[in-house]
Formats: sequence, structure tokens, C-alpha cells
Amino acid sequence: MSDKKSSEKIIADLLGHIRLSKSFMAWMGILSVSLVVCLYAYFLQLRDGMVVTGLGDYVSWGMYISNFVFFVATSLIGMLISAVLSLLNQKWAAPLARIAEIIALAFAAVAGLVIVMDMGRPERLLNVFIHGRIQSPIVWDVTVVTIYVLISTLFLYIPLIPDLKICSEKLDKLPPFARKIYTLLSLNWKGTPEQHELIKKSTRALAIFIIPVALAIHTVTSWLFANTSRAGWDSTIFGPYFVTGAFVSGTAAVIIAMFVFRKSFKLNEYITDYHFDKIGKLLVLVSLVYLYFNLNEYMVPAYKMKRAEAFHIHELFAGSHAFMFWATQLLGLVIPIILLLFKPFRKPLPILVIALMVLIGSWFKRYIIVVPTMEHPFLPIQNVPLNFKIYTPTLIEIGVTIAPMIMVLLIVTVLSKVIPIIPIQETLDHASETEQK
Amino acid sequence: MIQKKNNIGIIAFVLLAFLVTAPLYARNWKSPDDQKDKKSYLKFDATTASQGEALYNANCASCHGTPGKNNSLKSLNPIPPDLSTKASQQLTDGELLYIVTNGAGLMPSFKNILSEEKEWLIISYLRGFNKEYVQQLSKFDPAKSKLVKLTTTFDKASQSIIIQAIANEKTGVVAIAGAEVSLFVKRYFGNFQVDKSVKTDAMGKATIAFPTDIPGDKTGKLNVLVKMFEANYGEVQKTDSFDIGIPTDKPALNEKRAIWNVVSKAPLWVIGLYSMGLISFLMLLAYLLLNLRKIFKS
Ligand code: HEC
Repeated sequence: MSDKKSSEKIIADLLGHIRLSKSFMAWMGILSVSLVVCLYAYFLQLRDGMVVTGLGDYVSWGMYISNFVFFVATSLIGMLISAVLSLLNQKWAAPLARIAEIIALAFAAVAGLVIVMDMGRPERLLNVFIHGRIQSPIVWDVTVVTIYVLISTLFLYIPLIPDLKICSEKLDKLPPFARKIYTLLSLNWKGTPEQHELIKKSTRALAIFIIPVALAIHTVTSWLFANTSRAGWDSTIFGPYFVTGAFVSGTAAVIIAMFVFRKSFKLNEYITDYHFDKIGKLLVLVSLVYLYFNLNEYMVPAYKMKRAEAFHIHELFAGSHAFMFWATQLLGLVIPIILLLFKPFRKPLPILVIALMVLIGSWFKRYIIVVPTMEHPFLPIQNVPLNFKIYTPTLIEIGVTIAPMIMVLLIVTVLSKVIPIIPIQETLDHASETEQK
Repeated sequence: MIQKKNNIGIIAFVLLAFLVTAPLYARNWKSPDDQKDKKSYLKFDATTASQGEALYNANCASCHGTPGKNNSLKSLNPIPPDLSTKASQQLTDGELLYIVTNGAGLMPSFKNILSEEKEWLIISYLRGFNKEYVQQLSKFDPAKSKLVKLTTTFDKASQSIIIQAIANEKTGVVAIAGAEVSLFVKRYFGNFQVDKSVKTDAMGKATIAFPTDIPGDKTGKLNVLVKMFEANYGEVQKTDSFDIGIPTDKPALNEKRAIWNVVSKAPLWVIGLYSMGLISFLMLLAYLLLNLRKIFKS
């Protein structure tokens, strides 16, 4: 960080990844083929109906809604890193802001699709708009997710305007139509103080506004559960429990993205060990908060052991979901916290492995929140076959669940190939500031 | 030799087992003999069976399960039998009707829930599972019940409802004597029988005392149902309404604004908060778009 770099070099470095490389083509190829396979699974589901899944009258949400919660959760990171940390003047996070925003946008945009994939008759989504009751958390959810996607897009776009100008001017070997798009999107940017001021003001307004919206999207998601009287969901702390959990999975996702971008785009000078060390500490912080909420969430019902809750807790702690439960809690939360307390584990490679553990753990944690509760309702349905009560996802269902993950990777990959993933203008400003000092 | 001894042992065991468990097979209800031979006046065919299937699914399947699937509700004791089995099919039409009408042990009575015709429809459906069954129709002519005219009047002095049953025969009006009449008040779910069933006198009249404490609607209106049964004329029903209940004015739960109500009756605070959120977003959007325009113009 300390060694001086000419602005020419900075621009060249940070624009370096915006070109079509062979490895990019190969990666896109792999993603597209996998997506086609998964979409075929979805086609089967559309053609034959939800019977092709393991969902039934008992577990009607299953993997799909776990996936939805996971997506919404991960998308919250945009708000934490780009808004909260920048408002708190945490300068170290500035180069990571765009990565976080890209991840947030990709996950939020796809989250809506995940819900649609859980519907046997997706065209009935329109009914939410035609017949929706504004008392229903589903309507709040649809509203707030849409708003979050829009705001995240703006939050990505507005600070990007100066960089788009740089792209249109400095990128060589650019097809004319692409250059036109960059010019168009950069809105006559000339770098006047007035323009700078406008960007600054708008970004700030967004940074402030995105905080309640992000809190709202995940709180509302949690209300979809907590507003239902079910053992395991009937909880007053579900909102903060979900939000803190969201920061854990989002931070892990950003760490993975940082590692991959740094490696494949040769950004070692811009995303340094220092950043990994810092974000490692951030991960410890958010994980600790989440651990605290976990403690509350299980301690209180487990102390009282009300009949239905007792059964639920038993299923998680020692029953049929015990393995997954303890695996997610230990491998996805406790062990990462302990390891990350030590500096060597906050080096890029170890922290990558830990972040992968955390992210996978986060996915299964959502599964643990959704499925066991659905398996034992207060009023069991009479005369149902055993396979209704024990949920086992089918292969097709797994395919449909993976599809949105591939979409996220596609969106992130494509965005990383058309826009600089480290804010150029900000890096330049920062460099000139340090020079003046 | 040893072989033979064994066989005797097995036979003895089976016999003993049968003796011990025999009481379990015995039915713990008994229909009166005149009911046993009762026959349906409806001819059972595919249409009656499919009408009966719907009724069966709505009223019986929760306990008895789907006939032939052996999926009746196992948590009851005795377990409700699968009605397609031989044991149940051996019952006469009259016995089936009697059980459904009056109930048996845990099995509830459907007297106030299903009309006789509907019960026959269900039986028609059940008989479809029995290949050996041959229907014997009753000689009863359902057209006769069309001749019956029931009148209900409320007599304030004696606080009772007077029911009169007459038939417009070709030969002239005749009073129906000795018919069984029952009086019900209509409730949200099913009917509530008032007092016991009584027989009409020589004038075709019957009097049933009416309680003073039954809650009615805002004006105290009560809907009553009178059922008459007579061997010749069959079952006849009539509904009527009288202002003889206690006026009760409980607003329905969906009349006021509430979380569970339709959109137009959403609570104001929900509408307020939701719109505030939406409006502040739109304001932000307008502000940002304006800024973008300024950037573009400058
Ligand atoms: C609440 C559960 C329940 C419902 C509802 C119910 N039944 Fe039953 N039913 C029973 C039980 C329990 C028995 C066994 C009674 C006994 O043997 O003591 C039974 C016995 C019978 C029998 C006698 C069968 C035999 O072989 O002895 C018939 C016939 C019958 N039910 C018909 C019906 C019909 C038709 C309906 C629907 C209109 C119906 N039941 C609804 C519980 C129910």
C-alpha cells in the first residue's frame, strides 16, 4: 500500500481484468452447461409438477426455501461492507466495497427467482400483486426484496460512473458498441467538482437508506417463519438472529470472491494480506454475534422444554437432524471463530478454506431452520404415508436448487468482466491524498 | 404319531384363540328388527354411487379411510372397520342405515347431519365394493312425500311450536297421524335438536315446547327446521324462521379492520407503515434520478 504507484499503473492494473480471456471462456462454458442441466431439472418440475420433488404436505418448503433464505442472507453483505463500514469511516474496506455490492446484487436478484422455483404454478406469482393483502409478510417480502434489488443496482452503479468513463477512454481493443455503452452509462462524466459532489451525496444517501432496507429484507424473511406458530420458529429474536446470520454468510462469500479475484485478476497489490486480516477479524466479530443469538435461540426453549419445542430440540440435538445440526454449528461457526482468532489463519489461503466452511455451513444452517420444524407440526395430518413426514430431497430438486447458485456465479463473473471490481477513481483519489501528506 | 399330536395341538390352539378373541368380533350394537329389513327407495346406480362417494369422503373417510385401502384411523378403539370388507358388507341395507343414522359406540350419529336420502347415497357407494350385492328396492313411493304439507306456528302463550302435518291426497286433505316429528334450530355447524322427537296426534298435530334462551341474530330471528317421518310418506323437511330467540349483536370477526381481514379492511397502522416505506423509497429514487440528471447536464 505504501509504495507509490503512478495513476497510469493503477488504471492499467485495475482495468487489466476487463477482457475476454481463454480461462474466462472456459469457466463460462462450464457454468452454462451446468446451468442448462439444472434448468432441465426445472423443466421437468414444470412439466410434471412438484411430485418430482421430495416436498409434500408436511415439508412444503424444504430445500428451496432454505436456499431462498440463504440467498437473501448472503445479499445483506453489500449493506454491511459498502454502507456501514464506509459510514464508520473504515477505510480498509473501501477496495472491497464493489465486490460486496456485486455479490449483494447477484444474490438479491436471484433470490426472487428462488421463490418462484418453489412454486408449482409460477404464473400465479402475479396473484401476489393482484390479490395480495398488505397485512401479509409475503407482500412485504416481495416489496422489500424488489426495493433492495433496485437500491443495490443504484448503489453499484452510481459510484461506478467515474470508472465507466475511465473504461470508455482507457480500454483499448474495445468494440465500438461496447465503448458506446460505457460512454452512455458514464453520463457525460467530466470529473468536475460539482459532479464529484453529486456522486458523493447520492452515495451517502444510498448508504444510509440501504441499511434499513437491508435490515427489513432479512427481518421480513424471518417473519415469514416467526409469524407462524410452529415449534422452532415461534421466536421473538428471529429478526436479529437472521440478520446476524446473514452477515456471517455474506462475509464468507466476500472472502471467497476476494481470493478468487485477487488470484485470477492479479490484484495482489490492491487486495493485500492486510485486507484478508481485517475482514478475517470482521468475520470473527459477526460470527460471535451470531453465536450469541444461537445461544439464545436454543437455550430459552431448551430450558423450558415445552412439549413441542422439546421434541424439536431433541430432534436437533440428538435426533435425526443431530449430525447436520452439530456439523453446521461446529464446523460452520465455532471452529472458524476459534481459528480466526489466530493471525496465521487470517492469511489468504487458510481464510479461504475457513470461509468455504462457513459458507457451506450457512447453507445447511438454513436447512436446519426450515426443514425439522416442518416435519413436526402441532397438529399432525392423519393417515399420511411415512415419506411425507421424513423429507428427502430428490435429485431433480437438488438440480433446481443448484441452478440459482450457478446464476449467481454467472452474474458475478460477467460483472467482473465488464466493470472494474476495485473502484479506480477512489483508488486514484486515495493515492493522491497520501501523496500530498 | 408325533406329527398327529402336533396337529391336534395346533387345532386346539386355534380353537382356543378363536374362543378368546370371539368377543372382539362381536358387534356391540344391535338394530331393531323393523329397521333391519328397511330397504332403499333409491335405485343404486353409478350416479348415486358417485354422489355417495363425495358424501362419504366428506363425512366418513376421516375415520373409515378409503374403502379397500385399509387406511382407517388406527388411533381409535375400536378401529373403524374398512366398510368394503365382507364383515361390514354382510350387514343389511337397513342395518347400515340404522348405524349411520344412530351411530355405534365411538361412531357418531348422523341423524342431524345427513338426510335419509344422503345416507342411502353413501350406502349405494359402499355397495359398489360388493360384487355379490343385489339390491332389493323398497316398495315405498318417494312421490308420496311430495303430497305432504307441514305447517309450523309459534304459540306465544305456551311458548311452544305447533307442527301440523297434512297430505293433499286425491281423495282430499288428510291429517297425518302417528308421524314422528323433530324440531331443530339451525346453527353454524349442523342442527341443534330442540327437545325430543314426538308423534303427531289424530289431527296431525304435535307440540314441542321451545326454550326461551336460544340466541338468535340481531332481531332474535331463529331458523328452524322441522323433520317429519312417516312410513307411508317417508321423510319430509321444512324450514321456517321465527323471531323467538334472544337478540344478539356480536359483530363478525371480519367486520372490523384486522390483520386477518381483506385488503380493504387492513389495519390503518399497516397501511400507514407500508405506504411510508414505499413513499420514502420513491422519494429517494426521485432524488437519485435528479442527481443523475444533474451529473449528465453539467
Ligand atoms: C369418528 C369416527 C367415525 C366416523 C366419522 C364414522 N364412523 Fe362409522 N364407525 C366408527 C367406529 C369407531 C366404528 C366401530 C364401532 C364399534 O364397533 O363399536 C364404526 C362402525 C361403522 C359401521 C359398522 C361396520 C361394521 O362392520 O360393524 C358402519 C356401517 C359405519 N361405521 C359407517 C359409517 C359411515 C357411512 C360414516 C359416514 C357417514 C361413518 N361410519 C362415519 C367411527 C366412525
